[in-house]
Amino acid sequence: MLTRLDSLPRDTRDTLFLLAVIGWIMLPQLAHVPWWCGVLAVAVLFWRGWLAFSSRPLPRTMWLFVVLAIAVVATLATYRTVLGRDAGVTLIVVLLALKTLELRARRDTFVVFFLGFFTMLTNFFFSQSLATAGAMLVALLGLLTALVNAHMPVGKPPLIQAARTAGWMTLLGAPVMAVLFVLFPRFGPLWGTPSDAMTGRSGLSANMQIGNLATLALDDSIAMRVKFDGPTPSQSELYFRGPVLSTFDGREWRPLQPRFFGTRVQLAGNVQLQVSGEPVRYEVTMEPSNRPWLMVLDVAASPPQVPGFETAMTSELMWLVNRPVTDLLRYRAESYTHFRSGPRNIAALPPEYLQLPPDRDPRTIELANQMRADPQLARGGAPALIQAALQRLRTGGYHYTLDPGVYGENTADEFWFDRKEGFCEHIASAFVVLMRAMEIPARVVTGYQGGERNSVDGYWIVRQSDAHAWAEVWLAGQGWVRVDPTAAVAPGRIGSLQRLQPPRNVFATAFGNVTPGLAQSLRSAWEAVNNAWNQRILNYTQSRQLNLLKDIGFSAPSWEELTFVLIGIIVFVALAGAAWTVWDRREHDPWLRLLNRVRRKLLAQGVDITPAAPPRRIATLVTARFGELGAPLAHWLLKMEQQRYASAADESLRALQTQLRHIHWPA
Amino acid sequence: MLTIALNPIAYTRQRFRAWWQARLPLSDTTTLTQRNVYILPTRPGFMMLATLLVLVVASINYQLNLGYLLTFLLAGCSVVAMHVCHATLRGLTMNLMTPDPQFAGASAQLRVVLTNNRNAIRNGIGLAVLDSTVDDKWVWTDVPALGSSTVNVAFQPQRRGLHHVPPLTAETRFPLGTFRVWTVWRPAAQVLVYPQPEAFPPPLPPGEPRAGGIARARLQSTGEFDGVRQYRRGDPLKVVVWKKAAKTGELVSRDAEQAQRYELWLDFAQAGKHDTELRLSRLAAWVLQADRLGMEYGLRLPGVQIAPASGESHKRRCLEALATC
Repeated sequence: MLTRLDSLPRDTRDTLFLLAVIGWIMLPQLAHVPWWCGVLAVAVLFWRGWLAFSSRPLPRTMWLFVVLAIAVVATLATYRTVLGRDAGVTLIVVLLALKTLELRARRDTFVVFFLGFFTMLTNFFFSQSLATAGAMLVALLGLLTALVNAHMPVGKPPLIQAARTAGWMTLLGAPVMAVLFVLFPRFGPLWGTPSDAMTGRSGLSANMQIGNLATLALDDSIAMRVKFDGPTPSQSELYFRGPVLSTFDGREWRPLQPRFFGTRVQLAGNVQLQVSGEPVRYEVTMEPSNRPWLMVLDVAASPPQVPGFETAMTSELMWLVNRPVTDLLRYRAESYTHFRSGPRNIAALPPEYLQLPPDRDPRTIELANQMRADPQLARGGAPALIQAALQRLRTGGYHYTLDPGVYGENTADEFWFDRKEGFCEHIASAFVVLMRAMEIPARVVTGYQGGERNSVDGYWIVRQSDAHAWAEVWLAGQGWVRVDPTAAVAPGRIGSLQRLQPPRNVFATAFGNVTPGLAQSLRSAWEAVNNAWNQRILNYTQSRQLNLLKDIGFSAPSWEELTFVLIGIIVFVALAGAAWTVWDRREHDPWLRLLNRVRRKLLAQGVDITPAAPPRRIATLVTARFGELGAPLAHWLLKMEQQRYASAADESLRALQTQLRHIHWPA
Repeated sequence: MLTIALNPIAYTRQRFRAWWQARLPLSDTTTLTQRNVYILPTRPGFMMLATLLVLVVASINYQLNLGYLLTFLLAGCSVVAMHVCHATLRGLTMNLMTPDPQFAGASAQLRVVLTNNRNAIRNGIGLAVLDSTVDDKWVWTDVPALGSSTVNVAFQPQRRGLHHVPPLTAETRFPLGTFRVWTVWRPAAQVLVYPQPEAFPPPLPPGEPRAGGIARARLQSTGEFDGVRQYRRGDPLKVVVWKKAAKTGELVSRDAEQAQRYELWLDFAQAGKHDTELRLSRLAAWVLQADRLGMEYGLRLPGVQIAPASGESHKRRCLEALATC
């Protein structure tokens, strides 16, 4: 492509290349900016390209202001503000596109370059993946190439020449980048980031509206990576606990509202947690969720070690941190898969765990009454009723599906009697409603279940599609007990690798069918690379920075010491540069160095030798001055001449050097 | 004094520059080293710095580690660019070719040979006369690896006389334009500047009767001639007998000298009643005119008298006398 571009006149070629680079920078943004902005930017770039190609004049500046004003108004209409991240990104894209229509003076070109650099950064708001990094590296090289090319004023140098210069400048700049990246002190945000900073990231939410999790099930992105110290617990034990939802209004489950606002009482709560068995130790790298909770394996008795955060546990065994997780977060935790929690006495239990929305799900309540009236079940108590409900799920023709359709008013009724199919959230919700109708305290727990092991780097990967909802029921004398009604409907969903696959496109199906193993291993390798990227680059935080200093040998590192190290390195590099300059100034040719030594010595003795005198001339001068005494030196000088200029030198320079040391110097 | 009072900073600056330039050694060949290559950031350089600051603040505020990477890579590139920019001039050898004499006020050229003994090309080097007020004064060139390139720098000598070549400056902003690297060079060579010829001079003064000759005023340009002689260097083209040259291949000039009974003297005293410079510039115009006409002419200046003759070397002699008197 570069060669085809090179056949155009220089101005046209340079402009088209710059436009192509800008287009490449904007490409990832098109998915995130409003449609009118994308259309405007693409149209302006193409128009500008056409103007350059046909050598037409640029439009008047007034028109640009008109378009800009329209864009500002449209931004206001879209976002109700021109501040904040999304509105800012939209405006920057518009500005960059419009500025290409105003490439008149040198200054305009620079403005385009600097806007381009900034637009590259805004891409990272939406994705910091390896692919984005690669694309932006290409963009950076492109912009630098254009900038270098703009500073080659003579003739029409080929673009590849500028590209090569830009390439090795980037290569030489990479060590600077590495040092600064490792040592530049990391702070928290300097001022509050606008609230829209984290939208566009999916994950569990604080509430569960019926239908929420099903959308997550189609999301194959990674929620967290877990590295177990010991062996991985069995699949059926891998319940990662998220928000616990206890109040239901018929459509939406919400967490229990703390009844003692402003105190820690509720958080510390009457957990009454008893654990048994060996703990599972592991390290979690959680993708940013913009939520203040930590996902831990059910259940972590001791606080997870989260650098830079305070942690607390709710009475529902969920671990919270003091601010939303807006960044990739790594923490260590210890969990016990065997545990008991909750009060032993029903009187100590908040009444919310038995509340049902009024006037909803009459048939489910009817069903509950029937089951409780059954003498056989009544004798067995709560465990028997739970078993009966699970039995009904197993044998009643209920199905697990990703596409349950839209549920109406009485979600539990529809599930139990009409549709008989649903995603885990429908099943869990309907199950808890039935339990509460039978006077058994119950709640919904959301989180992730299962995951898969990446065979390349051994990390356990939990995806958004592993999001799950299950139930907990309270049994007298046992406390809260986990019941997973989905397991009763679809045993395959729990405890095995089999996951319900959303319908795939034709190509993916064919590819997956032909080489299922290859696709799987390619995916594993790719995710291992991604994980390394996450662990090394994206998760490089202040604590890891300070740990690095600790490894170097600082006992109690702080960011001041980080700055000292940084300054130290800069000073060292500067000194090394100065030393190199001094070294560079001296004569590099060993032959000349040797001859200069002789010349200086003779000069000191008063022989007048010009700096450019060749050996033969010096030899003549030596003979003239010292006569016979100078003969050995003159002879040596002639050999020097031969060494340098004869087609085949008799003696090596090293030999001549030794000879000089033994020559009887004339005086 | 007035300048100090009006603009003390500009005055100090000017004095400092004069002092600084006077310290520079005079040399026709200069090799640029760390000592005589200067570097400062340009306005786009400060813009780049501002961009880097904005990028780092955005990275901090949104906690973008990839943003840090981008910022620091760009910063690294800028640092490398600074060194590349400096190295573009450092080590370059500049050699001024001996300049030909020039007329004051006319556009003249200085030939400078740039030699690169490095194994890499040096891009985007501009040369100009240091204090040139012309808008587009720079001459841009690339110097190939282990090669040389020649540039012609335009300059306009202002005053007549024998002067040093004005200080030259070389500059580069390659590769990113964020830094300006420049040097100032005072060549040792001197250039002879003739007076500026008057644009519309009066006709040549009438001849003076040659001593002992018969007064017969006749101008050579009437086309009549008395004989032919061997071509001499400096004969105007119009006196060459081209027909004969075509026939025999031998250059022969018409000889009208014997006919000239009048001698043309270009006299300082007769060159109007203006000040010295205007008179000199009229004399210069007359010298050129007389030479164009192929006439013999003499020059009388205060203290100098050049006997009538013609030809290129005579013209030079006269102009030199005008330049240096």
